[in-house]
Amino acid sequence: MATFVPIKRKRGSKMSANKLQEEIGSLFKNITLKIAKNNRIFILAQKEQILDILSFLKNKGFDHLELISCVDWIKKNQFEIVYILTSYLLEDEKSRIHLILKTRVSRENPEIMSALPIFENAEFYEREIYELFGVNFDGNNRLIPLFLDREYKIPPFRKDFDTREYVKNLYDSILPVEDKNK
Amino acid sequence: MDRNQIKKWFKFPAQMGHKYSLWVTYFCTGCGIIEIPPTITARWDAERFGVIPVATPRHANLFLITGYVSVKTLKAIIKSYEMMPDPKYVVGFGSCPINGGMYWDSYNTIKHLDRYIPVDGWIAGCMPRPEAIIIGVTHLWTLIDKGMASGYKKYREKYKYYRENQEKVLGKLEWQPLFPLKESEEVK
Repeated sequence: MATFVPIKRKRGSKMSANKLQEEIGSLFKNITLKIAKNNRIFILAQKEQILDILSFLKNKGFDHLELISCVDWIKKNQFEIVYILTSYLLEDEKSRIHLILKTRVSRENPEIMSALPIFENAEFYEREIYELFGVNFDGNNRLIPLFLDREYKIPPFRKDFDTREYVKNLYDSILPVEDKNK
Repeated sequence: MDRNQIKKWFKFPAQMGHKYSLWVTYFCTGCGIIEIPPTITARWDAERFGVIPVATPRHANLFLITGYVSVKTLKAIIKSYEMMPDPKYVVGFGSCPINGGMYWDSYNTIKHLDRYIPVDGWIAGCMPRPEAIIIGVTHLWTLIDKGMASGYKKYREKYKYYRENQEKVLGKLEWQPLFPLKESEEVK
């Protein structure tokens, strides 16, 4: 009978938010960094730096990409791509840091490098954002339909997609079967 | 057993048999499925009313649509409905299949289910309690008694229009028409 052997966590080391802030600030230029309460760090970076910062953070111990999400800032004509990272490997639970990395891309030509070489689970988040917002991820070869069955002229989660008009033109235009006989 | 019904049992045995053995297939589309386990298990025990969950739509004659219907699930619903043997009854469950509910302006949720498949009854609410399901079943009994739960006949008669509506939302359907696409067909 096989015995259960718990995995030893090797990379664990204490990490403080202030220390991390200094290190990132000295390595990367053109970023703004803010520490919120509860060990939460916000980083706002340029879109060219994203892969460098992600690989740096992964080596630091942030081994888990929780989420990639997207926000449509229509008045500023920008999409905001948000990466949320955390760590399973740090031994001390209280010193675990929640890291939120944000970047902006223009709405006219939304394109950004894919995070696939660093985090494998980025594939499905990127496919979802590609489908719902139309942001193109350079380097992700599987940007094929994920959830939606219909094709939309404008991706449906963009702010300029008028859902009411769409519903009016499609679902409301379908008549009850009883009315069709007349 | 109700003594008044003995006459009916001799006169319409098949109809009475259908009435008291509604085998259900649940289409777990939305949040409504959370009300189904207490209904079919010991607490509310829907088997008192002859309602038994079955594995596949091919065994069932009652189809419960529990929750909102997105475009992708509509395709699966139509396929499952066409698999079911006659006589079959459909009950829309919750306010979303009735008129869209809180998804009334959603880009991906169809609003009126009865424009794509015939629906015999609705249970309104968001979500209805298990008691409401049981009341719905007893209402369906009276409809079957009076011969008003004839959605499956209507589907055959007006299949052309139903198919038209389905293709308007889903695009060209990849399966063959179930019935000939004529104006109407005589049903016994």
